[in-house]
Amino acid sequence: MSEVVKLQLIGLSVVGIGILILLFIRASFVRVIGFVAIVLGLFTLVALSVPQMASLPPVEEKFDIATVKTPTDMATIGQKIFFSKGQCALCHTIGPSESARCPDLKGIGAKLSREFLFESLTQPQAYIYLDYRHEGVAKEYPARMPYINKNPIGLSRNEILSVIAFLQQMSGEPISVTVTELDAPGQAPAAPAKAAQSGPVAVAQAH
Amino acid sequence: MQHQGGWIQKLLRSSSGHGGTLLGLVMAVGLLSLPALAFGADATPAAPVEYRDVPYVGSRNIIWVVAQLHLLLAGFVLGVPIFAWLCEVVAWKTGEKRYDKLAKEFTKLLTSAYATTALFGGILLFLLISFYPKLMNYLTDIFFPSFIVYCILFLVETATLYLYWYGWDAMQDGGKKTFHIFLGFLLNFFAFFIMVVPNSWATFQSSPVVLAEGSDMARAWAATWNPTWWPVNIHRLIANVVLGGYICGAYAGIRYLSATNTEERDHYDWMGYVGNFIGVFGLLALPFAGYWLMREIYQYNQQMGITLMGGFLSWLFILQAMLIGVLFLGSNYYFWLGITYRIPGSEIKYRKPMLAMLIALLLCLGVWMTPHSLVASMEEARKMGGSHHPLLGVFGVMSAKMTVANLMILVTFMSFIMYWRAGKQETAGWAKVAKAIMGAILASAAIAVIILGVWGYFVPAIIRINYFSTSQVLVVLGVMLTITPLTALLLRSAKTTTEMVWGKMPPRAGYSLVLNAVMVVLLMTLMGYARSSSRVHWHVYGVVRDTSPYAFSPALGYAAALMSLNTFFFCMLVAFIFWVATMGDKAKAPGGASKVELPQGMPAMAGASSALDEPKAH
Repeated sequence: MSEVVKLQLIGLSVVGIGILILLFIRASFVRVIGFVAIVLGLFTLVALSVPQMASLPPVEEKFDIATVKTPTDMATIGQKIFFSKGQCALCHTIGPSESARCPDLKGIGAKLSREFLFESLTQPQAYIYLDYRHEGVAKEYPARMPYINKNPIGLSRNEILSVIAFLQQMSGEPISVTVTELDAPGQAPAAPAKAAQSGPVAVAQAH
Repeated sequence: MQHQGGWIQKLLRSSSGHGGTLLGLVMAVGLLSLPALAFGADATPAAPVEYRDVPYVGSRNIIWVVAQLHLLLAGFVLGVPIFAWLCEVVAWKTGEKRYDKLAKEFTKLLTSAYATTALFGGILLFLLISFYPKLMNYLTDIFFPSFIVYCILFLVETATLYLYWYGWDAMQDGGKKTFHIFLGFLLNFFAFFIMVVPNSWATFQSSPVVLAEGSDMARAWAATWNPTWWPVNIHRLIANVVLGGYICGAYAGIRYLSATNTEERDHYDWMGYVGNFIGVFGLLALPFAGYWLMREIYQYNQQMGITLMGGFLSWLFILQAMLIGVLFLGSNYYFWLGITYRIPGSEIKYRKPMLAMLIALLLCLGVWMTPHSLVASMEEARKMGGSHHPLLGVFGVMSAKMTVANLMILVTFMSFIMYWRAGKQETAGWAKVAKAIMGAILASAAIAVIILGVWGYFVPAIIRINYFSTSQVLVVLGVMLTITPLTALLLRSAKTTTEMVWGKMPPRAGYSLVLNAVMVVLLMTLMGYARSSSRVHWHVYGVVRDTSPYAFSPALGYAAALMSLNTFFFCMLVAFIFWVATMGDKAKAPGGASKVELPQGMPAMAGASSALDEPKAH
């Protein structure tokens, strides 16, 4: 018997008890308790009838460089990251969809260079035009795209390169990211991934 | 759901027939083992402890129950003073002593209610320090200046409450009464900030602003003034008024059902009316505050907004729609019962409009509850051409939902105005023109809301959110802000054609008041779960990651079971507080309240108490 079925049985029992109270007990306060039990039981039953989705923490993709031999290996890891830790699929789709909230990424690896993709992921504010509709200094429109190399998503440079490899492969392009570009464990990451981490207000930095 | 750890789920999976008994036993054992766990943790000298757990029950479940009860009680003790003070001001201004009596009756609850709330607050704090030491350390490091402010606020609030309550009888006349009213204002003023300060801790977890450098004060202030702080403050303030009003209504409903004489029936019928009135008054404004909060969440972090509205929590908003819909229906139903039973002769006059409003509300609720994506089998999805129904899919989107939410507010506002005007005859020369203007305003507002809603399908989301939805909100607010004073002005010179008759409501009116209160409490528990789950696997979003075994949000069904449990506990706690607070009155009454004969020939009504069914004669 599944967890949902057991909870449904408990909900039904609570509703049943409430009905019995209303049918056989005359004391007003107890009757009100019976009524409340029916309401709460029904609420639980309705909640159990909708799709039951738990939100699990993203599975960490193990990035063992020793096992990554080819760019295709990188693209395979990148695909997993795209749909899990990277949370890309929360907003983007690959191909047209009714539920798309952000640009469709189909063919994006063919349209944009890998450098531009990297910059879009790590500095999404870079090409957003400024707001001049007021006196004084122009303001920045906040980018809807989050900084992928910062928390809460916080992809490492290796993971971002893998996602780019996946985007290129998915677009039918030759993968231009090479295995030699990956940072080895313990090695300081290359400059581009570090660039966006400075600034006095760091929402993503604990201590 | 392999992570759905916690012993409760495992118990549910493994047990078949004795789940409830075992659950109770294990919860008791778990709670009794808490001190042993704490001692055990002290004995390990190694790395600092990040989490402590309670076997079988799960630390997260305990925190969930205690935090929810604390929050609901806090809403109650902050809502009741607002409610009581408003009643006292009405009594002071109009000279109607029964409002003063009502205000005093509810203020009496506050001393015991404050103690219970503080008790749960203390338990929550100890549990948080025990179960989440690393997180609490982090939060203390940032917020310790506001901890001091919080303590000071508690001191002044307690002193003010003592003066307000114990000085009630001594400060009844002249300047003393004015001072007492001022004390009531101060009580609410301090209470507001008692709510605002911890709100900053909770909202910081969802939308943190962390300064990498700066003084302690600067860091604390930046963290406090985070993007969702004020939207939550305003939302909770209004919600507390709603909670206070509906809890008052539920109390009146229960007392009405068990009333044994006409005096009690009259009094509690009237109290139910006042409670429902204040509850609806707040309810009408609440969706706007909720909209503002969601807007700020989207602006702060679009992913969080999508997780809430379009991600795994999207079905939660269908449940929310259902609860709000029932609340609107329940509140309107109570208004309609009031028109039917309290104002003789109005029933026939208003029957058709009431039926029309009921149909409108049900249609709106149907649209609001239409999910964006339907749960369908592969075959059904193929027939529909996707997960969206070809016809109903149109109603599943935000544009439709915003439209019907605003229409439901308009309908409820119409009920409210209708009830206000029932039994009165306008005498002002300009009454006809005013009524025509009000009718035109209402009709044009409804049309404008629908046009904006339909237009919203054909413009980009950003235009709809920034301009159309806000315009809909402003239109409805505009209606309220013009028609309310106009009606008040109109009724100032009106003559009463039918006096309101109290104590004639059927028992189902009492149950509808209880239903409304339960809906509000359930809504608060549901949205608490939403707020907490929107942080997904973070204690502080993007800053402190949850690495405990409970770094997941359970599915809605399991969460709803806990919400129902919390709601039930809260109802029992409030009933206990009411019982304790009124115990003295019952003892003081010489032989109980005077028995007054009930009207002869009164029909026995379904669900009534035996006292109601069998009218007593002297």
